[in-house]
Amino acid sequence: MAWYAFVSVLVAVGAYATYLRITGGMASTNLTSIVPWGAWVAFYIYFVGLSAGAFLVSTMANVFEVEGMHRIDRDALFAAIISMAVALLFVWIDLGRMDRMYFPFFWRQLTSALSWEVHAYVAYIGILVTELYFSMRIDLARVADRTSGLKERFYATLALGRLDTSEASQAFDQRWLKRAGVVGIPLAIFMVHGGTGVLFAVSKARPYWNSGLFPVIFVISALLSGTALVMLIYVLRTRLFDGEAVNPDLLDRLAQLLIGFIVVDAALTAIETFIAIASLHPHEIETWNVIMYGPMSWSFWWFMVGFSWVFPMVLLSKRSWRRTPGVMVIAGLSVVIGIIAVRFNIVVPAQIMPVMEGLPHGSYFPTLVEWGTSIGMIGVGLLLYTLGAETLPLTPLSGGDHE
Amino acid sequence: MSTADDGDVFPGVPDVGKADLDAMVEDERPDPREELADVEADTDLGVAMAEDAKRVSRGEITGDEYWEKYDEAAADEFGEAYQETPNPAVDAGDQTVSTETAESLSCAVGSMDTVSTESAQVEGEESGGGIGAGDEKWGMVIDLQKCVGCDSCTVACKSENRTPPGVSYNVVMEEEHGEFPNVTRTNVPRPCMQCDNPPCVQVCPVSATYKMDDGVVNIDYDRCIGCRYCNIACPYGARYFDFGENYDDEVDGAGEVTSPEYGVDRGPREEGESPIGNIRKCNFCTHRLERGEEPACVETCIGDARNMGDLDNPESEVAKMADSSRAFQLKEDEGTDPNVYYLK
Repeated sequence: MAWYAFVSVLVAVGAYATYLRITGGMASTNLTSIVPWGAWVAFYIYFVGLSAGAFLVSTMANVFEVEGMHRIDRDALFAAIISMAVALLFVWIDLGRMDRMYFPFFWRQLTSALSWEVHAYVAYIGILVTELYFSMRIDLARVADRTSGLKERFYATLALGRLDTSEASQAFDQRWLKRAGVVGIPLAIFMVHGGTGVLFAVSKARPYWNSGLFPVIFVISALLSGTALVMLIYVLRTRLFDGEAVNPDLLDRLAQLLIGFIVVDAALTAIETFIAIASLHPHEIETWNVIMYGPMSWSFWWFMVGFSWVFPMVLLSKRSWRRTPGVMVIAGLSVVIGIIAVRFNIVVPAQIMPVMEGLPHGSYFPTLVEWGTSIGMIGVGLLLYTLGAETLPLTPLSGGDHE
Repeated sequence: MSTADDGDVFPGVPDVGKADLDAMVEDERPDPREELADVEADTDLGVAMAEDAKRVSRGEITGDEYWEKYDEAAADEFGEAYQETPNPAVDAGDQTVSTETAESLSCAVGSMDTVSTESAQVEGEESGGGIGAGDEKWGMVIDLQKCVGCDSCTVACKSENRTPPGVSYNVVMEEEHGEFPNVTRTNVPRPCMQCDNPPCVQVCPVSATYKMDDGVVNIDYDRCIGCRYCNIACPYGARYFDFGENYDDEVDGAGEVTSPEYGVDRGPREEGESPIGNIRKCNFCTHRLERGEEPACVETCIGDARNMGDLDNPESEVAKMADSSRAFQLKEDEGTDPNVYYLK
């Protein structure tokens, strides 16, 4: 109940801020023509990343059949769906003409990464929903069997009427789950999140983004945040909803995965930085100067380096800590928050240096309206997730692995 | 009045009083009867209508009384021509007669605006192909040796295009190099480059911005969703987002009149209506080019530093200047190939 009250406050704050956003227009933001992209874009790529990451973790269970991962399969898929929905909310509120949100489906531009992305997101959500369906269908049928009246009809509808709980039907589901996953993996890596990286990387006018490694780092930090989110959800939901004990082996496996992603993410970022600085390109050097020593450098050192790399790495370093749910919750939360700074440090610094000498420098910090709407949209995501977690059989009823 | 002594007379100013002036006007004033005798219409009716019209303007009779009195006579006299023409007193925005009277009139009831838009459209059709379909390839050459950095191009642009706060299609980038006393100053005016390979067009997810046949990069305000991707992609910082701000504190009725950009008159600036929430930029004053005028910045430039013309015509001045050894483009290595050239 306290949780619902908390989420309601977030949503209420967001609703009021959204009211101010809609009545005040884009002037309610601190965005300018010099810094046209801000907090909403940063949160948009953050949630696309969370979604892609969580989805890729789910494929470890349903495509690569890593032992013991099936337990978190549906959690990861459902979190991926909700994250994607939240990401699209952020794109929507960021449009100067919110009423024209459907235009990209009417008019296209082959050379525009954004035009492709919009379609990739829709296809991706389709894949996620398909996967969740095949992963959960048999348990929906079981629940429908156990309940009666409206509830029964509700679950039967979600199962699309396929109420067979035989082994043959389960095998069918798993076959199709795997197939959807196989299509989903390249879609998520190259189109959805890699593509979102490309969206930035093609901007030759912004040398900070304009690199081949950039979309790769995008995907790696997505995997990092997605794994952390799944770990967080796994522990919290097992403890809070199911009241069960956390499986230390599974936790350790997720934690080791997290270590790997932190190392790759930090290393690739270091390479990217080195190449940028070694290029002696004034725009690149000045942008990195802004990131590391500018007025917002705290977000780089404390949040990006501290919360998403160093601090969780310390917590993950000891085997006994990796098997302690409490410690891993903190490590996961630290990464999930730290990656927000990573996304802000992608979006904003590239717009601080003017594109031409003689034009004004940019400066940006979100307004209360921008923060408020962001909190609200995150609240909507949390609410949807909680409602789903309460009604849907996200924890496999059969308990363990694929039989 | 013409009694002033010599002390009040300024050199070069004729010493005439009000009575003299009135007499001069009366001398010049044509006789209404003589004038009207030259046209086919009834002279008595014309004189009577003119006299009563003066009464209306003095407030002695109302517009309603006037039109009720003359409607039938005018219809008899002018026939179809009268019936098909909207009455200037009947206008949606600024109507001087009551609705009842307006409806009782036998002339067409419609605003004058409708007639002017119709005739404008007819003119447009005659020129063929619509806006931006010209045979020219518009280009601009800016002579930096002639630019004094006065910013009048920026001001002329703002008043011509009536751009809101935060939107300035043209800016002058002023750079100072060196240390006192060895200082040089360069002023680089920056309109939209109307690139041949525009990165903004490349990234627009809904194709709301595109090259027109005459080389100008257009923005379709009715399609733009306001995602600002083009704003990010432009290497010249030439694109601006319209945040919906107005000069209301500075000017009364600042948003009453807008510029007919791309040949579309959108009427007064209204909240939630395009171009608010859209991206905007210089379009070489397309609406002026279409009627044979130079862009406002070119026309106003005090040093004649800006030149406008057809780059496809090798005989044109701009084509020759763009070919000279002094000519360069901004950020040539970007591959954007601007149609704005500068002379060193």
